[in-house]
Order: sequence, then structure tokens, then C-alpha cells
Amino acid sequence: MSEISRPLLEARDVSKSVRGPEGQLDILRGVSLQVRGGESFAIVGASGSGKTTLLGLLAGLDVPSSGHVGLDGNALESLDEEARADLRRRLVGFVFQSFHLLPALTAEENVMLPLELEGRDDARPRAREALEAVGLSARRRHYPAQLSGGEQQRVAIARAFVHSPRLLFADEPTGNLDQRTGHHVSDLLFALNRDHRTTLVLVTHDPLLAERCQRRVELHEGRVIARGPAELTA
Amino acid sequence: MRLLRLALRSLVREWHLPELRTLAASLTLAVVALGVVATLATRIERGMLANAAELIGGDLGIGSPQHLPDTYATQARDEGLSITQGAGFPSVAFAHEQSQLLDVQAADAAYPLRGQLELRAARGDYIGHGPAPGEVYLDHRALVALSLKPGDSVQVGGRDLRIAAELLRQPDGGELFALAPRAIMNLADAEQAGLLGAGSRARHRLLVAGEPSQVARWRSWAQAQKLPQGAELITPEQTQERMRSAFDRASAFLRLTALLSALLAGVAIALAAQRYARRKTTEVALLRALGTPRRRVLGLLLGTLGALAVPASLLGVALALGIAQAAWSFASTLFTSVPVELPLGPAFAAAAMGVAVLAGFALPPLARLAEVPPVAVFRESMARRVRRFDALYFFPVLVALALIWSQSGSARMAGILAASLAGVAAVAALLAAALLWFARRVAPGAHPALRLGLAALARRRGMSLLQATALSLGLVALLLLAIVAPALLEGWRRELPSDTPNWFVLNLQDDQRAGFEQALGKLGAQQLNMLPLAVGKLTSINGRPIDQLKFQDERAKDWSDRQLRLSWTDELPPSNRVVAGAWNGPSPAVAEVSVDTMWRDMFGLKIGDTMSFNVGEGTVQARVASVRQVDWSSFRVNFFLLLDPAHAKELPHTWIASFYVPRGNTEAMARLSRDFGNLSLIDVDALLDRVRDIVDRVSHAVRWVLAFSLLAGALVLAAALAASAAERRHEAALLRTLGARRGQLRAAAACEFALLGLVAGLTAAFGAAGAGWWMGRAVFRIEGFVPPLGPLLLAALAAAIAVMLLGLAGTRKVTRTSPMQLLRES
Repeated sequence: MSEISRPLLEARDVSKSVRGPEGQLDILRGVSLQVRGGESFAIVGASGSGKTTLLGLLAGLDVPSSGHVGLDGNALESLDEEARADLRRRLVGFVFQSFHLLPALTAEENVMLPLELEGRDDARPRAREALEAVGLSARRRHYPAQLSGGEQQRVAIARAFVHSPRLLFADEPTGNLDQRTGHHVSDLLFALNRDHRTTLVLVTHDPLLAERCQRRVELHEGRVIARGPAELTA
Repeated sequence: MRLLRLALRSLVREWHLPELRTLAASLTLAVVALGVVATLATRIERGMLANAAELIGGDLGIGSPQHLPDTYATQARDEGLSITQGAGFPSVAFAHEQSQLLDVQAADAAYPLRGQLELRAARGDYIGHGPAPGEVYLDHRALVALSLKPGDSVQVGGRDLRIAAELLRQPDGGELFALAPRAIMNLADAEQAGLLGAGSRARHRLLVAGEPSQVARWRSWAQAQKLPQGAELITPEQTQERMRSAFDRASAFLRLTALLSALLAGVAIALAAQRYARRKTTEVALLRALGTPRRRVLGLLLGTLGALAVPASLLGVALALGIAQAAWSFASTLFTSVPVELPLGPAFAAAAMGVAVLAGFALPPLARLAEVPPVAVFRESMARRVRRFDALYFFPVLVALALIWSQSGSARMAGILAASLAGVAAVAALLAAALLWFARRVAPGAHPALRLGLAALARRRGMSLLQATALSLGLVALLLLAIVAPALLEGWRRELPSDTPNWFVLNLQDDQRAGFEQALGKLGAQQLNMLPLAVGKLTSINGRPIDQLKFQDERAKDWSDRQLRLSWTDELPPSNRVVAGAWNGPSPAVAEVSVDTMWRDMFGLKIGDTMSFNVGEGTVQARVASVRQVDWSSFRVNFFLLLDPAHAKELPHTWIASFYVPRGNTEAMARLSRDFGNLSLIDVDALLDRVRDIVDRVSHAVRWVLAFSLLAGALVLAAALAASAAERRHEAALLRTLGARRGQLRAAAACEFALLGLVAGLTAAFGAAGAGWWMGRAVFRIEGFVPPLGPLLLAALAAAIAVMLLGLAGTRKVTRTSPMQLLRES
């Protein structure tokens, strides 16, 4: 099986429930999907539809109440948090809506974080390369507060791919940016997807961004109501 | 009323918030620290001052260095007063080849006139009077020191006396830390033994008791008489005053240490209040948007604070009383065993002070909450006003100053203390900042956990400095007492050469000198240093009577009223150095006197001034020829005033000597004491041991209080942790998302807190070492004293470990943060 056709990420009949003050609340119900290596994949839906919960389950940040999530052949539901953390460190990068850079670290130090967690010695030169790739080598010594929103998100993207993850999860990556900056940032994400064959899974409200993805699912009240591109109207 | 109900409900709902719990814990701790110390201090003070008449054993008395003329007793009898005569002096007792310096009181059968002499013999406890001839009472410490029991025999002043009973309590035995164990012997025995002869150190005493009117008449009669030189009235008020001033000094340190804890608790309160205020911002904005008036919002907040303060401070009061009671039982052997009820007032006063601390430190952030505009419901950033000068920030400073003033009792003292506290805090903060800066420089090449830990410290720089300063302050106090003080004492002892004189002898008469020297020679005594001793009084300086002179130095007045000890010698004694003028010539034309530097400063003396002294019946007028620097810690016989021998040798005098006898010659010393019954022999070794014992006990007592400062430091740490909890959770979630293992997060937290502890510990260690070095030079005058850096650095390390463990315990939950939280925050 070629890399493009092999499912790198798979959800089979995944449900997630939490116990609230008024009894059990079902956030996801029977969601199934497959994402192949190198693909770009969008999860869309209204607020409260369960997008973020699904992203968390796919990335191994949480485990489903029932069903199966496979990441590169590993059944996440059977791994403990430490083992999932190991997988994330090796395979996964993240980009968030609100960037989540550590304010006391410089841009370069923020980018070094994933490599340092792996205990690698070449963290600094690789972080510099990554910053150069997002066009921010001149600002590597700046602290997040000294950077614009777009620049912060580019630092976050550099941090997300510095350790060459196979999968990049992005949660509303352009949600806090104006249209032009958002466009630049999404260009960067798709370029990574294309040039490094990094699989891209993103959650978004933005129909234009979703349309740029090869495939999409739409969630409504915890269920997949449409798959794309054909079925999707977004 | 409705507002109070609302406030109570709000408190119950919000009780799970860590900052509210920190507020309550800080208040309780402040009340406990202040309450325990104040309760104990008041109890001891009350014990000492409980019954003023009991304290002197009569209604009124006269104390005198000589025998009082009989007219005083006769007049008292004529007035219908009862009288008792006695004398007090130090003397070494011998038994079973052991010796012990005793504080001996010689009493007649009428003693005491007021209060009770409680004794214990084989037949049980009983109330008694002065011992019969040939008998003596020893207190428990003396019995233990000499391995004796009632019925045994002991040698005091060269006489063998039978121990008739154990002395449990005597009316005038109320000294806080009596230097030596006590004994009461028969007055006639003491007289016959020559212990009360001319030149002895005995202080004679006549006490009277009777109807107040009789006492008052005798008092005016006695005051109309010219009291013998050096004699003074002993009044209950005076005794109270003296004890109070001695005790005030001792308790000031304890009270201030407690206050330090309370102020540190105040820092924790301020942190918690700030966090609480931040959390309440949205709620207040909503209330304001819904039309709640500002005053009502403020009332609700204050009501919540009040509802929290009442139970927390009551708990503090209960704990303070409990701990004070336990400490009292624990330390009652240290203090006089005066039965005094547990006073309740001080603990409640402490509660009031605690509430003042709470109000002072919590009000500024809470009061500002009332200023949150209703529009902040839409944009939270609107709630954050531009920082501007705000008088509210002075409030905690004012509360702190007021508390320091109330605890130290004088504005000047308060100023000095506040400045020193601020100084120590500033130095601690600067040192901590420097260490953090240095750590940041070495960070890039460091281990990732260390880098993350350092980044965490740097991220919350202000908070890190605050925590380091608060912890340092608590630690400095502890290290000074636990490590530096014992090292100083030990250094001081070590500085004395091994053949330092370890015995003093007083009251040696002219005709006994040769025999005594011979006896000492046989014992192999070394370093014999014998000087004449005359007792006199300063009458004038440069021809102006002393009572008409005014001196700036308060001590001068005291010394001009006192009996002075004068001596004379050809040669400048060892451990003396002339710093001005020239040493007395062998036979100058006019009498010359050499004064020590303290006297020069006290009386503003200069070379060429004349001083007149009354000695016995005669007068000496001497010219100040030199000023000496005296090493008072040398344990040699030293004098403030040294006359030239040519003009002084005819003055009435006895001899005082110091010498060294190797330890273990107790039997021989007992023989010496028997052969020269009138001599007062003082065992300096025993005295030094006793001083060390007292220092040990006091340090133990003080450590109780210091523990509160440490707890308060820990509380600041906890408050800071609570304040940064949300931020920490966010970071933890991010790092977890990026694949950090829990162990990595824990290692980073361990590094962060170990560094914080190390910074605080090192700051405290350097601070304590600096203070110790300074005290060694300026106070103890130990040349080249090096503070015990090893133990101090070990303590710094221990502090680092303790803070690390505390920090890890405090952030345990944080390392378990689910990475999902990060997505939810988006």
C-alpha cells in the first residue's frame, strides 16, 4: 500500500460522553472517518457540534468513551496518557487558534520546545531553520508580546513542524487573524502539507479554508452529517 | 442583614476557591503567631508582677552594700512593723567532689514577711521560714547539679550545712532567668563564716511589713535619713519597673518575630486577595450591568471577607491559646513556677491585629473591584484600568507600620525596625534578582527541565522575587538563631586560651594574701592576677557636683548613682590598651586615673579632666591621665577606673583575684573555700556553662516562634502557587499537548522550586553569615570570626529541598492537567 492510500489516522464508531449535572451528555456519537498520509482533511460544523472534541480524540489528547481511534496503527484507546504523549511527541504537531506560545520564551526558544522534549541536541539550529522557513529568522530573539498576531501564528507553525511530524492538527488556525494574514498562514500550512507530505487535519469555521482541503466532514450534534468534497455544501 | 446573608451564601459557594482558603489560613496563622507570643509574654509578665509585695518578700525594704545601722530596724520595731534581715551573695557550694555556683540568700527566722516560702522534705511539701542555724535549703537545680537530696550535707562558705529541704518557691525568686541555682542559708551562719564582711559582694537587706500607714510613716522617716552610701529603698513598684524593663527587652524580639510572621501572612493575603479580585471581575461587571450600585457591590465583598474573618480568627484564637498553654507547661521549668491563669485578652487582641492585617492587605485589590465598569461584561479588558497612583497601596504599609509601632512601643524603635525589615527585604530581593539573572545566563546550555524551570521562574519574575524575599526573611531569622548564634558563642569560648582564668575570688583581705597565694601555688594555679578593690562613689567632675551635671547618655545617670569599683596598679594590665593620654606614672605629682572608653563616652571625659570619688570616709581627686580600651571578654579582672598606686594604696580595700586551676580540682577548691571561709569563689566554667544553657533554652523557646515565620513563608509560596495556578495549568496543558511526559513536567517543576528555594536559602545564608560576621566583630569582638559557612550552605540546600517538595506538592494537580484544556481554551 502506498503512503497516500494507507490510513494514517482512523476513527471507527467513536463516541464521547461526559457526565454533567443533568446526567449523561453525548458529545460525539458513532463518528467514523479515515485520513490517509499526506492528505489535507477538514472538520467543519457549528459551535457545539463536537469538532474540537473529535480533534482532541484524533490527536490522542483524550480517549473515546467507545469506539476505536488509530494513529499510525496504534489504538489510542488502549494506550495510557504517557504512551499517547510519546506518540504525540513523535508524530504530531499542533497549531491553535490562540497560538499558545509561552510568553517568557523567545520565538526561537518556543520553537525549540518539541525538540527539547525529545531530548535532541540539535534543537537550536533546527529551530532556526524552521523560523527561516516561515520567514521569521530576523525575529527569532523576540518575545511573543513583541510579535503581531500573524507572526505569532507563524512561530506556532514553525514549532508545529520543527520536529517533522507526520500529522499536523490545526484548531481554527486563522480564527484570530484578519483575512489577509489568515490567508498567508493557511498558505503556509498547505505548503507544508504539500512540500513535506505532512498530513493536515484542521478544524475550522472558515468555508474557504475548508474548501482548500482535499476532504472534509461536517458534524452536527456529534454526528457526521456530510462528507466531502461531494456531500458538503460548506 | 440581607447583605450579610448574601455575603454568607457567597462565601459558602466560593469556599472551594484556593484563594479564599489561603486568605483564611493566612489570617489564622497571623492570629496564632501573634496570639501565642502575646499570651505567653503576658502570662510570664503577670507571673512576675502578680504580687509586687511578694516579689520583694515584704512591704518595703532597704538594700545596702554594707550593714545597715541598727536605727533602721529599731525605728521599724517602734512603728510596730515586723522586720526581717538578710543578705544575698554568690558563693560556690561543694559536695561529692562537685562544685556549683549558687545565688545564696542568708535569711533570719522571720523571713519571709510577705508571700510564702514553699519547701519540700521527705515528709512532704510545707510552708516554712528561714532555715535554722546549720541548715540550708537548695532549689532543684542546685540539688541536681551537686547530686544531692534533702538530708545530705553541703559545704557553703566553708561550713558544712545540712540540707533541710528542697526550695520550691520563694517570694523574691521571681527573676526570669536566674543566673545561678538558689540557696537559702541561715543569716547568723553566713555572718560567722565571714561571708558578709567588709568588701564582700553581699547585698544586705532589711525588709519590713505591717499596716500601710505604719509602712508609710517608716518610709518617710527612712527617706529623711541620709541612707548609707550605695543603699537604696526597695519598693514593690521599683521591682516591678526593673523586671518589666528587663522582660520588655527579652519579649520585644519574640513579639517582633511573631509580627514578621504576621506581615508575611499579610503578603500571602495580598496575593490571594488579588487573585480573588481577578476572579470576581466578571461577576462584579455583571452585577453592575444588572444595576447593582457600587456601594452594594463593595458591601457584598466586605461582607464575604468579614464572614471569612470571624471563624478564621476565632480558630486562630483557639489555636493560640492551646499552643500557649502547651508551651507554658513545656517551658515552666525555665520560668518561675508562678501559677497564673491563662490570659485570654492577648489572643483576642492578636485576632484584632490579624483582622487589621487582613483588612490592610486585602482591601486595596477588593476595593478596586467596585470600580469595575458595567461595560466590562462585554470586554474584560475594560476592567483593567491604566495603572495609576493609588493611595490604597499605602494602606498595607500603614497597617504594617502601625503594628510594628504597637509591638515595639516607640516610634524611634518602630522606624529602625521598619527600616531594617525593609532593608533586609530589599537586599533579599536584589540578591534574588541577581541570582535569577545569573541563572538565566547559564540557561541556554542547561538541561531542558532546568531550562523550563528557569523559564517558569522568569515568566513570573515579580512573583518569584516576592516568594524568594518572603522565604528569605523567614529563613534568615531561623538561621541566625539556629546556626550563627551557637557558632558565635562557641567562637567566643574558643578564643579564650586554655589557661584563661576560670576562677575568681572576691573579698580577700590584706592579711590573707600571702597565705592564699601559697595555697594556690600548691594547687598548681596559674595566671594569678590580683588587684586591690575599693568601693566608692563618683562625686564630681571638674569640681562640679555630679548631681548637678547633665549628661546626654542615659547610662551616665545610672552610673553616677551606683557604687563604683576602683583599683590601682603600676603596670597596664594585660588585655588593656591605652588609646589616649599616657599610662599613670609610678608616682605622679597629683593623683591620676585611667578611664575606659565607655566611661569617656558616657561622661564626655577628656584628658586633664578631674574626677572626685568618695571611698570609705575619704575623698580622692584624680586627673584623667589616660583612656583605655579594655577587652572585657578576656575573663581577667578588669576595671573601668584605675588609679595610680601612690595615691590610692591607703584607701580601704580588699583584693580581687583571677586564676586558672585545671578542671577536676574541685576537692582542693572545696578545701580552699573551707580554709578561707570569708572568700567568695566564683567558678567561671560553671558560669559559662550556665550562660550557654540559658542561650540554649532561650533559642529553643524562640524557635517555636520562628517556626511561625517559616510557616508564613510557606504560606506566601502557597498563595503564589494559587495565584499562578491557571497560568501553570495552561503551560502544563501546552507541554502535554506537545508530548511532554508527566515526569518531564515534574522535573521542570522540581527545578523551578528547587531554584527558588536555593535562591531564598542562599540569600538567607549570606544574610545570616553577614549578620553573624558583623556581630562577631562589633558585639562579641572575636577577631577573625568566620561564620559557619558549611552548615549555612547545608541549610540553604535543605531549604531548597523543602521548597521543592512544597512546590511539587502544590503543583501535583497541575502536572495532571489534561491536554484537552488547551483546545477548550481556544
